[in-house]
Amino acid sequence: MLSEFTPDQTVDDRRRPTYYDLPLLKAPHWEWNVVTYLFLGGIMGGLGLIQLLADGRKESERTLKRDARITAFALAAANPAILITHLGRPERFLNMMRIVKFKSPMSLGVWGLVLYSGAAGANMVRELALEGVLPRWLRFIAPGFLTPMQALLGAFTAGYTGVLLSATANPFWGSGKRHIPTASVASGLASACALSSLLCAIEGNTEPLHKLERLEMAAGATELLALVDFRRASGEYGKPFFEGARGKKLRDTTMIAGTLVPMALNLLGSIIKLPKPVDAVRVAVASILTLTGGYVLRESLIEAGKDSARDPRAAFRQPT
Amino acid sequence: MATGFFTDTTLCIGCKACEVACKQWNELPSDGFSFTGNSYDNTSELSGTTWRHVAFIEQTTATEDGVENRWLMSSDVCKHCTNAGCLEACPTGAIIRNEFDSVFIQPDICNGCGYCVVSCPFGVVDLIAKFDPDGSHYNVASLMEERREERQTALQNNGGVAGKCTLCYDRQTLGFTPACAKACPTESIQFGDVEELRERARKRAVTLAGRGVDAQLYGVDDVGGGVGPLNAFFLLTDRPEAYNLPAAPVLPSTRQPAGYTAAALTALGLAVAGWMIFRNA
Ligand code: SF4
Ligand code: SF4
Repeated sequence: MLSEFTPDQTVDDRRRPTYYDLPLLKAPHWEWNVVTYLFLGGIMGGLGLIQLLADGRKESERTLKRDARITAFALAAANPAILITHLGRPERFLNMMRIVKFKSPMSLGVWGLVLYSGAAGANMVRELALEGVLPRWLRFIAPGFLTPMQALLGAFTAGYTGVLLSATANPFWGSGKRHIPTASVASGLASACALSSLLCAIEGNTEPLHKLERLEMAAGATELLALVDFRRASGEYGKPFFEGARGKKLRDTTMIAGTLVPMALNLLGSIIKLPKPVDAVRVAVASILTLTGGYVLRESLIEAGKDSARDPRAAFRQPT
Repeated sequence: MATGFFTDTTLCIGCKACEVACKQWNELPSDGFSFTGNSYDNTSELSGTTWRHVAFIEQTTATEDGVENRWLMSSDVCKHCTNAGCLEACPTGAIIRNEFDSVFIQPDICNGCGYCVVSCPFGVVDLIAKFDPDGSHYNVASLMEERREERQTALQNNGGVAGKCTLCYDRQTLGFTPACAKACPTESIQFGDVEELRERARKRAVTLAGRGVDAQLYGVDDVGGGVGPLNAFFLLTDRPEAYNLPAAPVLPSTRQPAGYTAAALTALGLAVAGWMIFRNA
């Protein structure tokens, strides 16, 4: 039996705030590959600074410089391959090289990556030539200005991984138009220090460790401050990032295990002189925690962006 | 000449002829079928393969003498923004502004990076899924049986790129009216010179206001946030949000200066810290 329809007289449908709660915006199609691309982009950027800071006149820092340059080039070579896997039409990757577009962070970033690879590659060849792995005359391939150049391009590469997200129509990402780039640069440098420390520990080159660890602490503290202030500034828009299961993962993995714990371990290392093998374990643990935290940061940013895009209320208001 | 659409939602009868005409002319595949339960709207949203979408809004308002019902319908489409987020974001230059002042994606240039998707403040453009011959995307809208196979191969090859309304670029170059406007039986969708359409929209709003209709123009003038006026604009009778249109869209690139500055300052600060640590230690 059909019952007669009686409209609910108390309902005012004109007040309905959304269109059937359907999303206004489209969520990004980005998966692990873009997360990895951003993560490695940050590390590359940080390594750019480390290879500039390391003093080539000291034997221990020479090794650090060489390692930073080789890893930087390896990452710069791997990153385009990872980027290509996320494209809908991978065979058309080179179309990104058709133009340089200053308005598009994606375009500028890819060009930054290409130039960075060039500088890092030349600097790496120079290192290998100085070591005698490659013919010695090849060291002239990298003139001195390429060292600060790689650092500069590195800063851009790390920064752009943040701007790429924050300068979009996504309400959550937009609410972090300052915080996401800041956290990206800081987290990239912290991860780069962690990676370098790890390599030093493996090679038994313990001398530069305390410098790397202090720099990592500075970067980690900046990242942490940026995230704490981001939470305050983003308010409602930040909920998909800072609250629920994702917020807990961010807090536990990135903020506590990925920043605070390594800071404590690094501090411990500078106060107490541990026996060598124990100290190597300390460095390894701190490094792996920092790197994991950096990855989870990027992953959480992307995933929270998806949730934010699905929330029409956030998209209607848009952060300023 | 700059051309555009004026969609007068007070004339829309919800027949979806525009949706069908668009799918047919542009040979867009089906997106599958489901009943949403949201009034007569089973399309739900614009997508890479749905370039017109008719929204249905049922409203019941309590009044002094009982209730008042109204049923709003509106055909949504790409806005062909003056400052288009998608166009600015595209790293390949696949998205261009053509001679009709429309925002056009060149499908053979796009590499499917998806950056335009997150840069459209209206949630219009989306990536077209790779065509799956065994999946629910089998039904190509094309009625021409003999072209079906050819079309399916083309879709298979074209999947993975971004798709949205082209303002019927191909038809316009031939001097035809876009398919949706041509098919619209009530002239709710009007096509023409964009300046003339803006005038028409303003006059229509005045006429309707004279009849006591709460007519609001959307996109005839600057929508704010840096987006500027739209080339496809609307006459609405409720807040934009009721139709799933943003009242305050923001052009993504306006967020760049703050982002680059923050990144540069952080990098500078950490570089100075690093210099102090490495030199003085
Ligand atoms: S509505 Fe979106 S897809 Fe259409 S032109 Fe504007 S930004 Fe581009
Ligand atoms: S998906 Fe295609 S049209 Fe969109 S930004 Fe990327 S290259 Fe350009």
